[in-house]
Amino acid sequence: MQKKSQEKLELNYSDDVIDIVKFGSSVLEGNIPNDIDIAVIFKKITLKQQLEESQKIKKQLELFFDKPIHIKSYDLYSLFDKGNFARESILFYGKSLLSGNYFSESMGLISRVHIFYSLTKLKKKDKVRFNYLLNGKKGKYGLLRENQGRLLSPGLIEILPEHEKIFSDAMKEITSNFEIKKVFLSK
Amino acid sequence: MDKENNNGKFEILSKTAREYYRSAIDEFGKERYNSAVVLFFKSVVALADLYVLKNIGETPSSHNDRFKITREKFPEVYNILDKDFPFYQDSYNILMSKELAEVIREDAEEIAGKVGIKL
Repeated sequence: MQKKSQEKLELNYSDDVIDIVKFGSSVLEGNIPNDIDIAVIFKKITLKQQLEESQKIKKQLELFFDKPIHIKSYDLYSLFDKGNFARESILFYGKSLLSGNYFSESMGLISRVHIFYSLTKLKKKDKVRFNYLLNGKKGKYGLLRENQGRLLSPGLIEILPEHEKIFSDAMKEITSNFEIKKVFLSK
Repeated sequence: MDKENNNGKFEILSKTAREYYRSAIDEFGKERYNSAVVLFFKSVVALADLYVLKNIGETPSSHNDRFKITREKFPEVYNILDKDFPFYQDSYNILMSKELAEVIREDAEEIAGKVGIKL
């Protein structure tokens, strides 16, 4: 079920829809979500029209997901409004169900997670464990290769937003000395 | 439905639907849109129960039951409940707009029309 959500979905929707974006806990790999959060981004039409169109989309999405769908409707004004508490999750983690790409890419931005870490205070055996965790050992892939992450410089890795939980959960097993930063890169 | 045999449920639900609707109108007039949204939605729920009562002679026992019955038997009412419920849930921490309050007011009026009661 999670796999389907990574793909483009064939949906019927009106020309007033800019994008249909999955966001929230269901986007993060390593999570077991209770529901699927969906944002429908509209051109400037009335709220009544937005809500009616979103209901039609929701009915279609219920055929693809086995969890309850929570659908929210936005135009570009309400999406970026400071009162929209889901704003960051949609912009940074959101995946377009129409293109299969990150929603941020439609704005010319690439969202990535940078993790800064330091091993200086670790015992030697834990430094080795940490290295195995990221890079693997004896032919077994580490987290970086498994999840398309990369080492940018000593003490800094770059990963996809949906893998943040996988990395942070695993790294916490060895050290708490790391910091996560969310960054937008230009395309 | 036999109105004599519904133990006064029809009258109770009509009264609550009307009371919530009129209170919502008051709040709307004071530009308190969060309160208006909550109250309009409560009116929608009472009216949905009235609709169910009128058609099958019984009322839902819970939110889950209400959604289940309307989804299976009255999709025209389910669609309104399902569309508006998230705003009711979010109303404690999100600022509701005048436009949204108007949408939910229209929904209450639409179901009232289906049920045949004057709000």
